[in-house]
Amino acid sequence: MSDPDIWLVIALLTLATLITRSTFWLIGHHITLPKRVNEALRFAPACALAAILIPDFLVRHNQIDLSITNPQLIAGVLASLFFLKTRSMLGTIFFGMVVFTLVRVTV
Amino acid sequence: MSNTPASLPTSLRTSLENPSNLSPDLLKKAQRDAFRAGLKKGFPALTGIAAWGLVVGVAMIKTDFTLWQALGMSLFVFAGSAQLAALPLIAVDAPVWIIFLTALIVNLRFVIFSVILAPHFPHLSWRQRTFWSYLTPDVSVIFFMQRFPTTKPEVGKFDYLKGLLLPNWLSWQIGAITGILLGSQIPNEWGIGYAGTLAILCILLPMVLNRATLTGVIVAGSVALLTMHWPYKSGILLAVIAGMVCSMIWEEWHENRPERKEKS
Repeated sequence: MSDPDIWLVIALLTLATLITRSTFWLIGHHITLPKRVNEALRFAPACALAAILIPDFLVRHNQIDLSITNPQLIAGVLASLFFLKTRSMLGTIFFGMVVFTLVRVTV
Repeated sequence: MSNTPASLPTSLRTSLENPSNLSPDLLKKAQRDAFRAGLKKGFPALTGIAAWGLVVGVAMIKTDFTLWQALGMSLFVFAGSAQLAALPLIAVDAPVWIIFLTALIVNLRFVIFSVILAPHFPHLSWRQRTFWSYLTPDVSVIFFMQRFPTTKPEVGKFDYLKGLLLPNWLSWQIGAITGILLGSQIPNEWGIGYAGTLAILCILLPMVLNRATLTGVIVAGSVALLTMHWPYKSGILLAVIAGMVCSMIWEEWHENRPERKEKS
């Protein structure tokens, strides 16, 4: 792609960020959502995180990999236990990366 | 945009910003405390945010962006998943409108998050609303909701949000610029982006202690797995909606049958 084309793409992607993040802040008070939709929105954050997270743990080389040689899965399980025990996010990130790297290097 | 806060009576705007009618000094202190509380809440996740930024920065340089193009994309677009989705399309010279549509689809989940957050800030000017909503990624919305679960006016909401968003933007950009500069010296197999995945894990785990949410999480995760080969990550939105619907169904089912509640 030529240099002006790339800058056009950058401008359009910036617009895409703005449209999706800002539209409701700007015109939301003109829209009344049904009560049900508002109730369902309480569950949106957890569902959105899960939709990103679960493939990150289970998909390797474009396939679902449930074996114990999948470093993402092993580190994910151990990091979950570590977090439930310690409740420390920084500690869990560090611990999880160490497990991930050890499994990746040894397997 | 005629219905901007400028058209709200001044007394109403003041009462939304300062509902308990604090004196100017106390108000300032409350706002400063709220800003610090936001900083503190967001701090542990910053490592993960920077790690993601780094991954996106490296990806841009590997797509043969020049230094300025990569910096421009990182500073202006500020949406990692959309950038990652756009890069392979840019590499094969796909039509510009296809790239734009792809980014819109990948970003659709932000609409859901903005619906949650917008009702907290009707009193801001439209410039403020545009700017701060543009800076708001998923994770910050979740932290904000945990601190302010209802939309009732409270002192310091805006300051708390700023305390979350400014460090988030800064660590993302530091990560991205590091990735752009180090570029190809960072091997893919190190899996640095996994640090971001672990940060999300720590945010998600405390939320699933509620069974209705757990139901939605399992459904959303399964749908995301089943649709992982769909183009433009379009399965993610379906996964979120399916999860929300199942959480609602679970909740209603158990509200209507209290005798089941005890068993579960």
